[in-house]
Amino acid sequence: MGLILKATRLELIKIFSRWRTYIGFATIMVLVPVIMGLVRKYGFGIEHEAIRSLGNTFQYVGSLANGLLISYYLMNVLWVHFPFFIVLVAGDIMAGEGAAGTYRLWLTRPIGRLQVVSSKFLATFIYTLIIVLFLGICCVGLGMLIVGGGDLFVFDKGILILSQGDALQRFLLAYLIAAWVQMTVAALAFMFSAWTSNAVGPIIGTYAVIAVSLILVMIDISALDKIRPYLFVSYFDVFFMPFSDPIPWGDIGANLFKLTIFIAVFFGISAASFLRKDICS
Amino acid sequence: MILKTVNLSKRFGHRWAVADLNLEVESGQIFGFLGPNGAGKSTTIRMLLGLIRPTRGTYEFFGQPAHQSGVDAYRKIGALVEKPDFYLYLSARRNLQMLGELSGGVNHQRINEVLEIVNLRDRIDDKVRNYSHGMRQRLGIAQAILHDPELIILDEPTTGLDPMGIKEIRELIASLANDFSKTIFLSSHLLHEVEQVCSHMAIIDNGQLVVQGAVHDLLRTTDFFVTEIVVDDPVKARAVLTDDSRVRDITLTDNSLKVHAATESRPGIIESLVENGLKISAVIPRTSLEDYYLSLVQHSDGH
Repeated sequence: MGLILKATRLELIKIFSRWRTYIGFATIMVLVPVIMGLVRKYGFGIEHEAIRSLGNTFQYVGSLANGLLISYYLMNVLWVHFPFFIVLVAGDIMAGEGAAGTYRLWLTRPIGRLQVVSSKFLATFIYTLIIVLFLGICCVGLGMLIVGGGDLFVFDKGILILSQGDALQRFLLAYLIAAWVQMTVAALAFMFSAWTSNAVGPIIGTYAVIAVSLILVMIDISALDKIRPYLFVSYFDVFFMPFSDPIPWGDIGANLFKLTIFIAVFFGISAASFLRKDICS
Repeated sequence: MILKTVNLSKRFGHRWAVADLNLEVESGQIFGFLGPNGAGKSTTIRMLLGLIRPTRGTYEFFGQPAHQSGVDAYRKIGALVEKPDFYLYLSARRNLQMLGELSGGVNHQRINEVLEIVNLRDRIDDKVRNYSHGMRQRLGIAQAILHDPELIILDEPTTGLDPMGIKEIRELIASLANDFSKTIFLSSHLLHEVEQVCSHMAIIDNGQLVVQGAVHDLLRTTDFFVTEIVVDDPVKARAVLTDDSRVRDITLTDNSLKVHAATESRPGIIESLVENGLKISAVIPRTSLEDYYLSLVQHSDGH
């Protein structure tokens, strides 16, 4: 275990020594303040649509739009767009070593292959956790700073009003859950990465799987209900569940458990593949 | 016995890259592992280092079968497999620190020491991306000796180097064996390199062992020698010897002949040239590893 942790630390050094790792962080650092600044200047707009849908049963004074509401909407990037920053690293972490020929350096040291693959997986997980939390901190923090704080109005089967303190706790929970969701994406990219020596393949492969799965999940055909439980994107929306009242802990737990099974399967396949792989390059 | 393989074999598809290879390397040897490109040298080394799985056969390091020692054996082994690939975006120091940690921990002093040995001390903090091929090769040797291993496995360490670079690596290898008492397993197809530094050697061709033993003994026991004869009229001399049954082959150069013949035939051949009016100014025994190697490899190819 000690060697795995040591190797994980070295993997993190490698990850954070490469400029591509910072593409995600830089994008977040640029986009989030720009979005928040634009909302502050020109308004949000979407809250009017939501209120209008409630007809004359609801009356409000002032603005519902604040940093928390925008952060809540920005969580939608976690579906399709944000995974790019995950697969950029996860898709390269195994394949990149194969392409660079550096496995020869590692595997001729007193470290087993299972330890190598485990440390890489752990490092991928840590990177994923860091960047998801970074997104959360930027969205919520900069949102409150630039647009302002206040109560969070969640438009979901009616209106749920959460106090700022309550909303912040739920955001923390939501982003931790989102990190686990993104870890499923990372595990899939990791698996593809273990099969090839080209980092582009895992990125394309992962996105292809996500795109096809989302189509199958979102198309309203009842026959597709049979396969949806086997698609991990079916459980992606779990990171919005903390914003329900009461928080559906049972559903969250069940979905996270299913995602964990996907992660375990993807990792298992990656490890089995790497253990049997001939390092010829 | 530092290294021993027993019927070590690897098959890729239907082709046996290495077949029933039996090698024995003793402590303190500089063991040359020779063979033409594609003979199976790198495949053998990759099997020994656990990079690829043998189809059959076993190997042992330091008297212990590999399946028992597992990766622990690599604590006492350093390796450079073909061209050294490092993390180009990291400095030499950082690369060595990481590899040292995986080998059980190596302090800064040792890193400085090995970089001193390979003459890279003044470039320690440069990114490897900025290193020349020769510098990377030397850094490759630095990482191989970093954890002070007993056995150093080097696979084609002079590939792509200029003559000066080759000389430097050759001297480094000799120094590791002589000054630091390391056992070296050196794979190469550069015969001159092996002849100059190796005490023992094995030759493989088409994945099969052709011969192994002490370099000096193998060359001495060969059944023929090459003799260079400097003569006033090499063309005429060749004509004289062409039908001589004692001569296996003749190579013509500007002012001399290289005659392949058994040692005991040498006086008779010279006598024959003199009788035909040729003036001989020098007779130089030229049996080299190259001649020996080519004879074996060509024989094993059925030429």
